[in-house]
Amino acid sequence: MPAPRTIRTVCPRNCYCTCGMLVTVDESGRIIRIDGDPLNPATDGRVCLKGLSYARRQTAPDRLLTPLRRSRSGSGFEPVEWEDALSDIAARLDAVRATYGPSSVLYYEGSGSHGALGGLAMAFWHQFGGCTTTHGDLCWPAGLEATRLTYGANLHNHPRLTRESRFILVWGHNPAETNIHQWRLMLDAQERGAVIAVIDPRSTDTTDAADIHLQPRPGTDAALALGIANVIVEAGLHDEAFLRMHAQGFEAYRARLADYAVERAADITGLPPEAIRQLALAYARAKPALLVAGFGLQRHSRAGQAMRAAALLPALTGNVGVAGGGWQYANLASHCLRELPLPPAPRPVRTFPVSQVARHLETLDGPPVRAAWIERGNPGSQNPAAPRIRRALRALDLVVVVDQFMTPTAECADYVLPAKTLFEEEDLVTAYWHPYVQWRARVFDPPAGVKPESEIWRLLCERFGFDTRWFPTDRKAWLRDLLPEGQAHAIDRLPHEPLDLSGNGDIAFASRHFPTASGRVAFEAPDATARWGAAALPEYVPLDEGHAAPLASRFPLQLLSCKTRDRIHSQFGNLDWVRAVERPHVLDIHPDDAAARGIVDGGRVVVWNERGRLELAARVTPGIRPGVVHVLEGWCHDGDPDVNALVGEGRTDMNDGATFYECLVEVQRR
Amino acid sequence: MTGAGFRLDLHRCVGCGACVLACRIENGRVESAAWRRILPLNLRRRAGGPAYTFSVACHHCENPACLNGCPSRAYARRPDGVVVHDEHRCLGCRYCEMTCPFGTPVFDGDRGVVSKCPLCAHRLDAGLAPACVAACPTGALQFAEAGSARPPGDTAGVPGFADPAGCRPNLTFTPPRGQVRSPLFERLVERNRR
Repeated sequence: MPAPRTIRTVCPRNCYCTCGMLVTVDESGRIIRIDGDPLNPATDGRVCLKGLSYARRQTAPDRLLTPLRRSRSGSGFEPVEWEDALSDIAARLDAVRATYGPSSVLYYEGSGSHGALGGLAMAFWHQFGGCTTTHGDLCWPAGLEATRLTYGANLHNHPRLTRESRFILVWGHNPAETNIHQWRLMLDAQERGAVIAVIDPRSTDTTDAADIHLQPRPGTDAALALGIANVIVEAGLHDEAFLRMHAQGFEAYRARLADYAVERAADITGLPPEAIRQLALAYARAKPALLVAGFGLQRHSRAGQAMRAAALLPALTGNVGVAGGGWQYANLASHCLRELPLPPAPRPVRTFPVSQVARHLETLDGPPVRAAWIERGNPGSQNPAAPRIRRALRALDLVVVVDQFMTPTAECADYVLPAKTLFEEEDLVTAYWHPYVQWRARVFDPPAGVKPESEIWRLLCERFGFDTRWFPTDRKAWLRDLLPEGQAHAIDRLPHEPLDLSGNGDIAFASRHFPTASGRVAFEAPDATARWGAAALPEYVPLDEGHAAPLASRFPLQLLSCKTRDRIHSQFGNLDWVRAVERPHVLDIHPDDAAARGIVDGGRVVVWNERGRLELAARVTPGIRPGVVHVLEGWCHDGDPDVNALVGEGRTDMNDGATFYECLVEVQRR
Repeated sequence: MTGAGFRLDLHRCVGCGACVLACRIENGRVESAAWRRILPLNLRRRAGGPAYTFSVACHHCENPACLNGCPSRAYARRPDGVVVHDEHRCLGCRYCEMTCPFGTPVFDGDRGVVSKCPLCAHRLDAGLAPACVAACPTGALQFAEAGSARPPGDTAGVPGFADPAGCRPNLTFTPPRGQVRSPLFERLVERNRR
């Protein structure tokens, strides 16, 4: 009897940590252990509950193991052979293309599972004659663009250098839930004497453990950052030597700060002026100080400017290029793989912003969208205006969804094709917090009824008579060819250890060279105007749907829909193991707001605006800022709130992000 | 000398549940009730207090009520203090469920016996930490060896955790730190004393 074997792999979820994992499988092919990979210095031999839950998820009773076709009666699904499913799908795609053209098919891919092979779908679509896809991102693009405009690249220090910090400013971020390995490092720093300050309108596990907690109005972060900068410059605590050598446009920026006296910043943010002043002084005096910005302060229509304003604080205080300091938003050091080899597209692929799927499904013309293929995503739950997306999908001629489990999106499909798990196809996985490229191992062959997406696309190409040479026959060789120039040999090392292939070193911008147009930190960024029509200097602009907007007279509460440690968006919530330890999906509301509406703790409430409504239980808590309410996102199973029914299809000022946190609502007891 | 048990750092524990899942995997608790649980306290942050979480399983008490109340002598205390349960002796009478004030033993209806956390005795005997401790992502949950001194500052009693039956659990807590949580917590402790 063969002994249990342990295989090194990586969690491919859309999560900061991207944990290295060791999976131990017994002779019957059952997962008997999941451990963290001690060779990944960032995740340091640990995974989280989601990583451990793969032991359940791999063989979960509700996993899809055969293709499903919508029943002829129209309700429910029936199993179908792959052969029949692919033949019918091919015929219907062909018919849609013949009538409306190839752009009438929407190819939608989400972020549900990371890996280079996911890009192979385009080998089919390019030969199909094109299709329609989405651009931008639901999650983080405004912050990426703001960082790129400011520093020239999205890089930050190696996570382990967090321990060297003396002051950690956590902004719009909840690492205790969403980046737990970073949280461990922050707690280590705190034990060594560092101060943790958190800016968040909510109270979270992160804010509870902090030393300072400021709760500004959502969407006012630009004013807060500029107010902090004003205090720092007035106190003479800016780093003149650094700024003289490495800043561009500092004098113009400094003049702009006059508009953001601390009293005005206090007025806009709803914080006491003294709190802003004290935070600014503490941040500026501590050396080194680390600013960790989350995605939370860039989920509104003025996000790019807010992120620009915040991103400049480390440069202002000379905290860039030093261990324990810096601007930590996203570290794309591992995003060094080459472009996939693909057949040329016959014409540019039509795209629309991913935050506006509903409106484009409803109104796009020339041609309209008549069919959709959705994989690694769940737009019927996770995108703005989700109920309209579900309705629009149901009206299409053909919807194919590839997933491991039924989802609200899959419920709208004509065909649901069962997806592989992370253990069923080898791949390369990059990260956005640590610098490592990691090997995702094939631990198991897919079950008999399951095909990896790369194989589905190859089979479809065959059916259409397309060239299939773009698809790997030897996956390892195919992945080797994606490695950066001169690094092909790493393909033999990657199954044994995570590798930093970037050559950047542990400290971002240690050389003080910034790949911006000027080679300096851009306090003034003309590119922001050229590319996005945004002001070159960061500024606070009130939100169209913010606390001071006319709409607030009818819908006075700002709704946030944040992330929980129990899920990655709508993934994992179907598992009994996770549900047994997860926290409830309720509406958090401040006692003042609750009392004004006669709402009691635990009572049912209706949350509504002009876009939609949802009903759930209230949790009355003094931990949340008055005027702000919160519901966890991530609709996964019956009973979860469909929070994106309330969210509009706005776009961020830079880079086509979604505006989940710019959402006014009213709440009433039911 | 006190027996083996756990230490929980209330500042580091975020109640994520990784320990619960690690226990399930290690001990084959796939469909059955988990031996370890997360008890979130004060998620509403009432009384100005912080939210905090207990990760609890069996406390391997000095004076175990489960053992004392078991008519079939299914429970035993090893020399290192680990309280183990022998399911071959268990009658499934569920007295221990009633006597244990912490709600630790769980009844596995399909097998008609009770079961509980054995502190991963098989791992301890192999020189390894219990699975829950090994998996804790923040380092909040620690194994306390038999006879080890309680670290200075650790405490046996915290708001939300009581020993009403004099079991003397081998579970100690590191109180929260940080300027937000710590004073709020102190206030809760004070309120608790009164």
